[in-house]
Amino acid sequence: MNCKEFQEVLPYIIESGGNAEEEEHLRTCPACAELVQDLRYIATQAKLLLPMHDPSPRVWTGIEQSLHQESLLREGRTSLWGHVTSIPAPAKSWTPVGWVMAALVLTAFSLVLINYHPQLPTTAPSAQNMSAQPVPLEGDDQQLMGRVSQQAPDVRRAYEDNLREVNAYITDARQAVERDPEDAVAREQLQDAYQQKQMLYEMATVRTLP
Amino acid sequence: MTRLIFAAGIGSVVALATAGALALPPVLPNDTRNETRMEIAADGTVNVINSAGVVNVHPGTGRQVVVVYTTHSPNLEVDTSTSPDRQRVEIRTHVLHEQKLSPEESRVEYDIAMPAGASVNVSTATAPITVDGVSGDVELSSNTGEIVVRNVAKAHVHIRGIASAISLSNITRGHVEITSTGGAVQMGGVTGPLVSVGTTSGNITYKGDCSGGGEYRLTTHSGAIDVTLPPTASVDLTARSVSGSVVNDFPLQEKSHVSFVPKAGSSFAGTSNSGSSSVELQSFNGRIRVKKQ
Repeated sequence: MNCKEFQEVLPYIIESGGNAEEEEHLRTCPACAELVQDLRYIATQAKLLLPMHDPSPRVWTGIEQSLHQESLLREGRTSLWGHVTSIPAPAKSWTPVGWVMAALVLTAFSLVLINYHPQLPTTAPSAQNMSAQPVPLEGDDQQLMGRVSQQAPDVRRAYEDNLREVNAYITDARQAVERDPEDAVAREQLQDAYQQKQMLYEMATVRTLP
Repeated sequence: MTRLIFAAGIGSVVALATAGALALPPVLPNDTRNETRMEIAADGTVNVINSAGVVNVHPGTGRQVVVVYTTHSPNLEVDTSTSPDRQRVEIRTHVLHEQKLSPEESRVEYDIAMPAGASVNVSTATAPITVDGVSGDVELSSNTGEIVVRNVAKAHVHIRGIASAISLSNITRGHVEITSTGGAVQMGGVTGPLVSVGTTSGNITYKGDCSGGGEYRLTTHSGAIDVTLPPTASVDLTARSVSGSVVNDFPLQEKSHVSFVPKAGSSFAGTSNSGSSSVELQSFNGRIRVKKQ
């Protein structure tokens, strides 16, 4: 079973747990497992959310008493809230706020399903995509960025971003060489990565910045 | 009826004038247009340093370098000089008294006409560079400005960019070396004894026949490499990626001897026709694709 087939039966899986084949896919595919976990969480939260916005009968009684005290509710007329208070709590209808919250939850649920595209692992993890947070620049790189910031703030961001990319390139290539010192491609890649960094430094320090 | 035609005519004139005014760049009070002519030796070099604005280089006539430039601030000037032996012409944008200029004020637009055979070096920070039809060597670098080179033959073309989009077309019998960190590199009809392109994250696109018995080397860390070859291409091709995918849709004959063991999906090797040019494609985790034109 692939991710597409799995998505087609997703509502049934959320509801019933799925069959053996679907369970097997769920165990082996981190992307689908994460999605199912998210959807189950949303469903749980949705169930908790609606009763939370349906106040207890005491609240309605209190409001009605206040309105009577303020003479805003005449004797002989029963307010909508008054009707509500006379209905036993389990059979009570949802409030407008409850309906709105339900609609929001359903919309959010639909959006998650519509926008879900499984991220299948196509490449091995690299230093570039391993961490979501940008790696801080250190030592010489920081000094270089200080110089660029002073002399050409317009291109500071471009240098910073590309310096990080090049550092990730060097890290990846170095790790590949360490894994297999005989790998000619990895060795050439490491050389290229260092050439890229050399170019960044030269361009920041030699001619182009006025 | 006459009134109607008259009104329509007036309306058309107003519309055309408005469109023309919108199409032209605004003329600011401090705009100054200058022209400088400098003698240069037949194999001389023109060096241009400009931060922002535009640099356009094209062929001229005679033995003079003709520089037309427009500045937008009195606090900025253009220095031009020629070495005594006329081997070197220097053109440099210079901010006076370390003034702080606005982005618009710091712009200088250059139009440079080059004598035949003279080489050109241009460095910019954000200014785009266009070189079209020159006959000497070309060396260009920019931090973020777009770089375009067209119609150059039998010359060295060396380009360096940080985040510059780079585009080369109709470069024949060239010695082409491009290093780009984040900018994409596009090549159409680029051939010669050496075509070497290296990027970190910039995509590389090559369309052409890799002719000339040359060495073509395209390498990237995480960018995609797309090569489109005609069936007549005579290439000895290898494509390898450390952890990216490699796809071949071009008919190749299997090689009897290769220096590595091809691995389906991450490397391949083969020849087409007589395999006169060496084409080497390498990535770390970027996708490589070779297809038929």
